[in-house]
Parts: sequence; C-alpha cells; structure tokens
Amino acid sequence: MFEFVIAGISAPIFLLVLTGMTVGMVGGFIGVGGGYMVTPALIVFGFPGYMASGIDVTHICGKSVVATIRHRQLGNIDWVLGLAMVGGTMMGVEMGVRILNWTKDLGLSGIALLFGSVGIMIGLFVYTQIETHRSHKRIDELTEGGTTVGRELKVSRIPHFFQSISLWPIIRCHVAKIVISMWVVVIVGVATGVLAGFFGVGGGFIRVPALVYVVGATTHIAVGTDLLEIVVSGGYGALRQFMSGNVDMVAVFFMIIGAMFGAQFGSIATQYVRGPAIRYILSYSLGLATVGAFLRLVYLLSAQKYEFLNFFAVVFTLGEMIFLCLFILSLVMFAVRFRHGKWVPNWIPALVVKGD
Amino acid sequence: MAGSFRVRGTIKFVVWTALSAAVCIYFWMEYFNGNLQRQYYYKAKSNGWAVHAEAFKDATKDKPAMLQIGSFEKIEGLQAVPVKKGDRLPFGATGIIDKKTVDEGKRVTLEGNTLKVTVPWQIKDSKGFKYRDTFTHKGVETDPWGAVEAVLFILVLGFCLGSMAEGFTDMIGMKIEKIKHYEGAH
Repeated sequence: MFEFVIAGISAPIFLLVLTGMTVGMVGGFIGVGGGYMVTPALIVFGFPGYMASGIDVTHICGKSVVATIRHRQLGNIDWVLGLAMVGGTMMGVEMGVRILNWTKDLGLSGIALLFGSVGIMIGLFVYTQIETHRSHKRIDELTEGGTTVGRELKVSRIPHFFQSISLWPIIRCHVAKIVISMWVVVIVGVATGVLAGFFGVGGGFIRVPALVYVVGATTHIAVGTDLLEIVVSGGYGALRQFMSGNVDMVAVFFMIIGAMFGAQFGSIATQYVRGPAIRYILSYSLGLATVGAFLRLVYLLSAQKYEFLNFFAVVFTLGEMIFLCLFILSLVMFAVRFRHGKWVPNWIPALVVKGD
Repeated sequence: MAGSFRVRGTIKFVVWTALSAAVCIYFWMEYFNGNLQRQYYYKAKSNGWAVHAEAFKDATKDKPAMLQIGSFEKIEGLQAVPVKKGDRLPFGATGIIDKKTVDEGKRVTLEGNTLKVTVPWQIKDSKGFKYRDTFTHKGVETDPWGAVEAVLFILVLGFCLGSMAEGFTDMIGMKIEKIKHYEGAH
C-alpha cells in the first residue's frame, strides 16, 4: 500500500500500474484514451470522484505521448489531418464543458450525461458492427476470388460524400491520401470535442469512428492521428484539472509507467491486423461500455435504490478492460500463428495480415 | 547493416533511459522535499481555518476532535490556522474548514480557541458513484504555475519513455517498419 498524500488515500501501487497497462494496451490499439474505463476503476480503488477524473485525464495525456511516438514510427499519423482538427477539437471541448455546466445548473448533469453517452454509444456500436461485419465478409469474398486484400477495407460510402464537399480551403493529407475541405475536418473536430467536453472524456471513442466514417482515413491512421489529438486535448484537460486541484501526480506517475508497457504492446499490435479488426475491438469496447453506462442509468433513475446495479456497472467496466486486453492478445497470437502457417480459426485470416 | 541498426538502437535506448531516469529522479525529489504538496495546497480559496483533515477523520459526534487554533508555520495533527482568501497555506494543511461551515454549526463549531469537529465526512454522489466527501482539498487553490510544470513534466516523461521503448525494440533487433496502408484491394 502506498499513501497518496495529496489524494488522501492509501492504495496498492500494482493496481495503478496494472490499470495503466491494460488501458494503455487498449488505447494504443484502438486509439482511445480510455477515460470511461479508468475513472470508475480509480473510484473503486478509493480515489474521490473528482480526483479520479483529473488523474485519468492527466495520465491519458502522458500515455498518448508514448503511443503517438510508436504510431509515428509505424506511419499511422497524418500530421496535417491531426493539426487541422486540433483547433476545432479544443473549441468543441470548451463548448462541451459549458453545456455540461448548464445541465448541472438545471440539476440534470448525471442523468443527461448517462442518457447522452448511452444513446451515442449504442448508435456507434450498431453502425460499426454492421459496417465492420460487411467489410469482414467482403474481405472473405475477395480473398476467395484470389484478390490480394490490403490493410484496409471499408464498405461505408459516407466519406465519399464529405470528401466531395469543395468548400475552400481544401487540405491534402498525404499520409491518409485524402483531399478534403478543411471545414469538414474542423466541424468533425468541434462535434467530437463537444461530446468529449460534455462527457468529460478524451473523445477517442467518438473521434476514431468519425475519422474513419466521415473523413475517410484508414483505421490505422485514424488511431494514430487520434492519439496525437488526445495529446493536445488531454494536455489542455490536464492543465484545467490540475488548476482545479483534481490531480495527484504520484498516482499519475505510476499509471504512466504501466501505460508505457501497455501502449507499446497495443501500438505494435496494430501492425499485425487489418482495419476491421481494430474496428471490431472499438465496437465491442463501445458495446460493453454501453452496458456499464446503462446499468448506472437505471440505478440513477431508480433513485439509487438498487445498489447491486451500481456494483454490476463497476464490475462490468473493470471486466471490459480485461476482456479487451485478452481479445487483443489473442488476435496477435493468432496473427503470429497465421504468419507461420499454423492453424487459426476461420474468422482470423480476414482480420490479420501475413506481413507487409 | 543490421549490426549498425542495433548499435544505433542501443545508443538510443541508453540515452533515453538515462533521461527517463533523470526525469523520474527529479519527480521523486520534488515529492520527497514537499514541493508537490506545496504546489497543490498553495493558497486559501475562502476565509476559514487551514487544517490537516486526515488528523480528525475518525471524529464522531460522541468523540469529537478538538483543533487548537494558532498561527503555526507547519500544521501537525489537531491544529488549525486562521486564513483569509488568497493567503498562502501553512505546510501540512490539507484543506480549509470555511467560515460558512462553522457558522452553520452542523459539522464544526467554534468553542473559544478551539474548533470542535463532529462530522468529518459525509457520503456524496458523483456521476452515479458514491464517495466520502471530507474536508480534504476543500477551499484549496492550486499553484497555476504548478499546473504548467505538471503538464510539461507529463509530456517530457511520456516523450522520454516512448523514445526509450523505441530504442529498446531497435536494440533487440525488432525492426518496426512503416505500415503500407494502400497496398492491395482497399
């Protein structure tokens, strides 16, 4: 047990390192900060609610730097796209925080937050599931027809519409191979920023699908570019949280140490898989987070009568981290087996690559 | 070729490990000499009494904690220092019992030169989670420059650790190539 003087609690260091590691792995793989998983975990460890959010955002900033360095090496970052989006994201985050304060004044923040997050997550979960499943089938069909399938395959036509908007200035994203109006990118940044600011999260779980399905980046580039965004928005969030007295730097330090290992594994693991594999994991993470948020919503709507709902919500959220890590580990394990010509389940070849 | 790649990786790993260690040592020095604590518990946000909230966390209505009021430079145990909004907090202070709370008299009362604490914590709710709301962190203003320093520290630590890890994989010969995003059907 370590005594966290500023947080005013005692907690085992290994739990913080382990949490940092698991969230680092998931975040490095699907490009999210993992705020919706870390905050409940820290509350379970005994950190006060406000401090859990602050520690979470601050650690996400550091972890994203680690993961961004690795994704840069993998060529998964489009700097033009990322930097074009940053301004919109920051503006959106500020707007989101103001909307949150407004709902707080109306006495609605907890329920509004949960209703909003459940609605958006269900929508994203359903869409990513359908689209990814279709892409998966398409890869199978192409492979059976003897076509060599690359890293990415999407069946969504939405990006074509947004890329056809010819509103000046037009930007050329050389890594993502996209030519798109800067206004589309900025508006995507604002919209995802509003949601991130309102829900008090990094926003990766909204921004990665937006980069894939609206802007038209490949999933790998969306992950890397989103992590770059999180460095900036997380840094700004950390600054605000520290000024509000919500950060225990010692807890952040231990979490970043754990995240360093997890983020390395998660980032490197992306080179073994195709885009749909990342989208599947993102989709499942959204689905599982939705169940946790839904349980908490029912708990709040029932005037907090049924304590077991809150307990299950926490168990579900923590279980989600472990489930996603195991899923990523098994994907990598199967990818390695596939590269060596060993047996793998039927659904694996469409999701992994034999090597560039 | 592969040899020189690994040698460069080894140099990169050693340099960034040394820098990471330096950053970590700096952080722990800041922690042990109390600077992190001073940055966090910087100024009073309201009028009241600066206290070490953990010292009376077990107080009850039957067994209240009596805090000695005085102008101590360092708060140790059951002591309270009167502060005004904007005053620098004495070392060891972890929260403020504000005047309003004392005037209400539900949790703390003023009895001559002592503060009588009867309700040191209460259960509150945040985002559907219940937590113990104590006097710790109450009415405390954090040093804004400390916030800038903290964010810079996080960025530098992340950069050093990330580069160290990159050096490590190069050193063991795990060559990580750029992903070819647009090869084959897509």
